[in-house]
This record gives sequence, C-alpha cells and structure tokens, in this order.
Amino acid sequence: MKLNERSVAHYATCDSPADHAGFLRKRVERHHHHAHHHHATSYQRRWFVLKGNLLFYFEERESREPVGLVVLEGCTVELCEAAEEFAFAIRFDDAGARAYVLVADGQAAMEAWVKALSRASFDYMRLVVRELEKQLEEASKSLAACHKSPRRSSSSGRKRHLSNPALLPLQEKPTVLENGYSTWGSGGGVPGGAACPDRDGGHVKPPPLPPRRRSAASSAAGSPVPGLSPAMPESPVSPETACFSKLHSWYGQEIAVLRREWQERQKRGHP
Amino acid sequence: VKKRLVKLVVNFLFYFRTDEAEPIGALLLEHCRITKEEENVFSISFVEEPERKYCFECDSEEQCQEWIEALKRASYEFLRRSLIFYRNEIQKMTGKDPLEQYGISEEARFQLGTRKQ
Repeated sequence: MKLNERSVAHYATCDSPADHAGFLRKRVERHHHHAHHHHATSYQRRWFVLKGNLLFYFEERESREPVGLVVLEGCTVELCEAAEEFAFAIRFDDAGARAYVLVADGQAAMEAWVKALSRASFDYMRLVVRELEKQLEEASKSLAACHKSPRRSSSSGRKRHLSNPALLPLQEKPTVLENGYSTWGSGGGVPGGAACPDRDGGHVKPPPLPPRRRSAASSAAGSPVPGLSPAMPESPVSPETACFSKLHSWYGQEIAVLRREWQERQKRGHP
Repeated sequence: VKKRLVKLVVNFLFYFRTDEAEPIGALLLEHCRITKEEENVFSISFVEEPERKYCFECDSEEQCQEWIEALKRASYEFLRRSLIFYRNEIQKMTGKDPLEQYGISEEARFQLGTRKQ
C-alpha cells in the first residue's frame, strides 16, 4: 500500500510541536507460527513522538525518519499486566490488527503517556469541537436574547466564526466521504428555540470520552485473544478504521525491509 | 487517469481500485494544500514538495467543491485550531474556560499562541 512517506516523515520530524515525546520500550511482536517455539519476550527502546492522532517511533532521538507509525483511531489504551512494570497497551477494535505493548520508565511517565494517547484520536477532538461549537452558539444566542442593547465590543470575532469558510460548523453525520455522494448531514446544527438559557451555561453537560471497551484489568494468562467487541451502537469508531491496521503493518514492514537491504549494501561496500 | 474509489477517513485519504476492498494507497492530510485546478479538478500538494500535485478529477464542479471543502477541514491541525478558536470565543463571551469541564484545559496542545498556524 502506497503512502506519501516523504510527507509523513516530514510531518513527523518538522518543528511543529509534538503533543508528547519520550523513550519507551516497545515489545517485539512475533508471528503466530513462531509462538510455539518459546522465544523470550524482548523489547526495543525507541524514541516516540505523538503528533495529533499519529504516534511515530524512531530508532534514535536524532533519527531523520521514523521506523514506524501508529494511527490512533479505533483503539483503546489500557494498562497491561505484562511481565514488565509500567507497561501499557494500544489495542485496536479491528481483530486483525496487532497490539502495541509499550513500557515506560516510571509511574509518572506511564500515566502521562496513557493520558496523552487516550485523548489523541481525531474522533475525540471532533467530539470536543462539536460540543464547543454548540456552546458558542448557545452563548451567542443567550447574549443576544438577554441584552437588548447592541454588544459593546466589535463583534468581528464572533461574526467571523459564522462566516469564515475555514470554520464552518462541523456536520453531525459521520465523516466518511465517498465519490459521488457524501454522508455529511445537510444543514447546520443551529438549535431552534429562543429561550434564554442560564447565563453561565451550567446546563451543558460535558461529552463523554470515547468509551473504553475493555476493562482496565488485563487478560489473565491463557485467556483467548479477544475478538471484536460486541457491537456498541454509540461507538464513535467507524468500520473504516480497519484501513489503519493495513497502514501499520505495511509501514512497519516496509521500513524494516528497506533498512535490511541498505545494511546489506553497506556491508558489501556499496556507496 | 485512473478511476478510483476515494475515501476520506479522519485525516487520511484512502484510495481503492473500484472493485477491491483494501486500499492501494493513502495520503496523510497534514501540512497540505488543497487547490482547485480546473472546473472539475482539485489537487493536493504538501508543503515540503509543493510542485508535486496529486490531482483528482470529479464528475461535476459541485462534487469538486464538496471535496475541496471537506479536505480543507480534514486535518488534525485544522481541528486543533478550531478548538482553540471556539475555546477562546467562549471564554471571551462567558468568562469561563469550556475545557475545564473535560479536564483538558492544561494540555499544551490547546494553548493559544504556542503553535505555528
């Protein structure tokens, strides 16, 4: 599967600030057919960088290109009772996708990573932005309804959010857009009603975090690998997130292969 | 010119051969520019290689416009900017920080003025 790797690598390494970064040990995942040969579990220390919903990892902190990428959509981040202390796992709803087991170097680091990764998804951001949009609408309307006199300050900022095409209200429908027809909802999300709500907005409830589909307790030894979670109608995860597991496995392997080939050429004395 | 099924999922644009279930490729939509090229054609290019354009021909100008609008809003960075903008506006209007109720008001990624736009 092709990817615009150069742009991806550029995004990973450019100076736009990372949301979180640090060393973690990553468990090496072995293919199933090796499982009956009792290989000891091993870990590789990598430099991890979180930007948005993308978790990159590099061989070294100074590396120019990531060796891997994890797209944090349709996943849960949970503590993990691996043999290692301070271990946590990124697991995907897609049954075919591999999990990532990561080990931090202390309690604080582990907690910071779990927190950062749990809230990294695009879906979560979109949820929060939609809620804020609604709150802004309600705040604007309550100010307009409760105050007969014109607003004191220049309202160019407030007007701008309604007419600035870059900040059109996000639609309610799931954002899977395919050729020829979109599944965007039509019409804006402006609520009706002219009631003047409580001024401090106390009636607004916070949106729930995307549901954690598994309990924090890990699987006990010998339990089967969980399949897909039972269907949850309110889940924000769309089936298209299965695309991402392809991307993970492709990207990881491709880079590994390229590196091996490069190393072999080096040994043979090629430039 | 090849016909492809194109799917926008969060900040990725996947493309498929029309009869296949697995994508043949993907474009990460960060630090990119979406441009209308012709009536029915838009292109995607990336900041570090602006002369390289990924072009897409649509069935109609309307479809083209729809895609341009959707793609411009598809990046995580766009969402982040929107969040910061709404937060700031709500704070100005109500005096309260709306992110406090979600427990994320201290996160560095949501602070005004700390990021390149």
